[in-house]
Amino acid sequence: MSLLRNYWLSAVAIVVSAVVFLVPFSFIILMAFKDKTQAQLLDFSWPQGMHLWTNIVEVVTTRNWMLLTAFINSTILTVASVTLVVIFSAMVGFVLQRRKTRFNGLIEFLILAGLMLPPAVVPTIWLLQGLGLFGKLHGLVLVEVAYSLPFSILLYRAFIATIPRDLDEAAIIDGARPFDVFFRIILPLLWPVTVTNIVVQSVAIFNDFTNPLYYLPGNANATVQLTLYNFQSQFSTSYNLLFTNIALITIPPLIVFLFFNRQIVAGMTAGAVKG
Amino acid sequence: MAGLELKSLRKSYGNVEVIKGVDLSIEHGEFVVFVGPSGCGKSTLLRMIAGLEDITGGEFYIAGKLCNDVEPRDRGIAMVFQSYALYPHMTVYDNVGFGLKLAKTPKGVRDKKIRDAARILQMEHLLVRKPSQLSGGQRQRVAIGRAIVRQPEVFLFDEPLSNLDAALRVDTRMEIAKLHADLGATMVYVTHDQVEAMTLADKIVVLSAGEVQQVGAPIELYQRPANLFVAGFIGSPKMNFAEVVVDAVGPGTVTVRSKDLPLATIPADTTGVAVGDAMTLGVRPHAIISGGQGSLVGVVALVERLGNETNVSLTLPSGVSWLVVLDGDHSLSAGQTLALTFAPDAAILFDAQGRALHPLLPS
Amino acid sequence: MAVMTETAAAAPMAPTPKRRSPYPGWFFLPAAIIYGVLFLLPTFASLYFSLTRWTLFNSTFIGLDNFAQFLREPFLVKGLINTVLYAVITSGLKVVLGLMLAVLLTSQIAARGYLRSVVFFPVLVSTVGVGITFTILMHPTQGMINEALAMIGIKGPGWLVNPSLALFSVALVDVWKGVGLATVIYIAGIVAIPKDYYEAARIDGSTKFQSFLYVTLPLCRPATVTVILLSFIGGLRTFDLIWAMTRGGPGFASDTIASVIYKQYQAGFMASAPPATWCCSS
Repeated sequence: MSLLRNYWLSAVAIVVSAVVFLVPFSFIILMAFKDKTQAQLLDFSWPQGMHLWTNIVEVVTTRNWMLLTAFINSTILTVASVTLVVIFSAMVGFVLQRRKTRFNGLIEFLILAGLMLPPAVVPTIWLLQGLGLFGKLHGLVLVEVAYSLPFSILLYRAFIATIPRDLDEAAIIDGARPFDVFFRIILPLLWPVTVTNIVVQSVAIFNDFTNPLYYLPGNANATVQLTLYNFQSQFSTSYNLLFTNIALITIPPLIVFLFFNRQIVAGMTAGAVKG
Repeated sequence: MAGLELKSLRKSYGNVEVIKGVDLSIEHGEFVVFVGPSGCGKSTLLRMIAGLEDITGGEFYIAGKLCNDVEPRDRGIAMVFQSYALYPHMTVYDNVGFGLKLAKTPKGVRDKKIRDAARILQMEHLLVRKPSQLSGGQRQRVAIGRAIVRQPEVFLFDEPLSNLDAALRVDTRMEIAKLHADLGATMVYVTHDQVEAMTLADKIVVLSAGEVQQVGAPIELYQRPANLFVAGFIGSPKMNFAEVVVDAVGPGTVTVRSKDLPLATIPADTTGVAVGDAMTLGVRPHAIISGGQGSLVGVVALVERLGNETNVSLTLPSGVSWLVVLDGDHSLSAGQTLALTFAPDAAILFDAQGRALHPLLPS
Repeated sequence: MAVMTETAAAAPMAPTPKRRSPYPGWFFLPAAIIYGVLFLLPTFASLYFSLTRWTLFNSTFIGLDNFAQFLREPFLVKGLINTVLYAVITSGLKVVLGLMLAVLLTSQIAARGYLRSVVFFPVLVSTVGVGITFTILMHPTQGMINEALAMIGIKGPGWLVNPSLALFSVALVDVWKGVGLATVIYIAGIVAIPKDYYEAARIDGSTKFQSFLYVTLPLCRPATVTVILLSFIGGLRTFDLIWAMTRGGPGFASDTIASVIYKQYQAGFMASAPPATWCCSS
């Protein structure tokens, strides 16, 4: 009896989930295959003719290959930010966990503030302008790093707590200096958490819209999210191109999802529990 | 030569003093064991020698050189941890050679030293494995190998056998003793197990609450413990104690009485002893024999027949419980009354401060 | 005088080490510089500006006058109300739906792997992309949602053009995108509950629903707290989706603090941005 109910429930769940979650994605893909006229119907009809390749070409070459530049910028932004965040936050998490001083409470408070408080954008813009970093990609990298540090530090601190202090001491007796202890012993042992952290931070920074919007005005420096947003006016009637764009920028998260699903889920639940 | 000198060594965490002025001399090549109950400070003292803990007060010398502020790697020491502390992401080969790699030893020299150490400890076949693939005993050997390969002046062991099972403990204990005989290096060993202390040590240091209770050879600590604490700590099963009162003082002897014992005349140091003083009498379980005039009478509470000896838990008239180990097998039953005796010179008297009043040795 | 135990002695509190600690303070430096300069400094500056009236040359401390003035502007107040409303709706829905989905996905139904993936994937997708897609799907006449409703005879509302519905519609999309994360957190919480409790409840005569109420729900409290915190704070700070779908419109109907701040910034009004930010963070 309950077996029958389970099958019935499963069927309902699968159908409902398909409608709710898969239909929007199917819509995106269908639109990406259509030509301009058909796309304007905004319906769920099957594409007449496969225009995907022409759509892609047109989207990528629009405005002097802007999308390509955007992809490059987004990649640079993501890679640079994530690299810096991982190394700097691991260093902080390490010393924070191992060395108990009277400043630890203050430091933790400041870190938590970073998780709770929204960034003060306008003063930050003034600051960046003053430093000559406003509107520049490396300025945005530093900002992304600053905003991502709290979560990352807490993640590393929690994980380093599981590495026994004995290992540090054995290394010290073996002659390791602090630099050696961190890079030769601790960091290699942090690899699983680092993978998770890289994946979670990469997705977040790649999808970030607000910060590039504030700190990177100007088309030449756009990231893929900004480009998509700006193309709304560009493709105001060419819905097929707009959705091709959406499809293209969904590919990186999709790849990450297919390969790193387990790490993402673990990372987000771990970070959530600590937070 | 690498002797160690500890002079009035103190250690405090904030306002809490955990090491309260330790004076100790360790000769080169000696095997010294720090022993004591949990929390006595033995591990802290070891870590101060290693340089893992700062020294709050006093002076510490290695081979005549003041080493209070010297980094661990410059002290010529190696340490074996209770948890082995092997680097999980490296093979045994890399674990053992890590210190050498940090010291930028040439690869050829490094390789030879690692293989030599592996040969001494019979673990050549383990060199390519990772710690997670080893048993507890094998991991301990790798930890020892990592210490040997650095050819230190002093070996430090922090409760290395605690995480091993009983059989392995005995085997590894003998390996460590053999290692000491082969290498002839100074070894400082911390344990809470007095059997390990008695079997391995040239010199035992008994610690309690951050203070040294007694320093001496194992037999000396067994036969002439300096105070109640050492008497009760060294020797298994534990020494029996009874509250007694001084009845008379003779030349080189003190006569005591108590509710449980008729008058007993014990050889002791009589300096400052007066009639009526309260004292403690200590007799080891093995020193009590059955028969004789029966100065000790009690009711059997529990009997353990081990075949070669019999453990008897005896309840004395005052309610105090004494443990007696009788030679051979005796079939006794609970509730039975037993009369036992002990030789007076097998007993030790302790004054009201717990100090032992051993008879003065002839000079 | 207390004596430290062996284990306590093994994990030392370093007072003032005379030698260099193996955990050097300069490890904090790179992160501290970046974080201090690019986050802490602007945040404190923002607090300072919130509490002062300033010209180019001097500033006088006027306390909460700025906030009072801020709260007098009707559209700013509406933004504040909208923000709180949005946060409450999205976090409420995410908690409830997330828990229901988690219970479903940890039960004995088929295709659990597929379901978990499908529910979670939207979390990873670009918010702007999702916003644009749903804006089109929610088109009052041509959008798929209303066309589907029309097929079964219901006249679909103007999801994003009706001022009283706009905020709510965006909130729904937000929940669509974010419920996967709540679900995954809840699944972790549910899976961690030992089976023993359910067996004991069954022996005590509990029904499935009662087991849920008296075992699952209480033991999921850490997960619930996490989900509420994350989604509420996220909801208060929401910008991407609102901006992509309605730009705060129609009119100011779906403005939130974050979009208000951005509009002020675009218009060049610097003074109200800091108090707005601090309202947002409180």
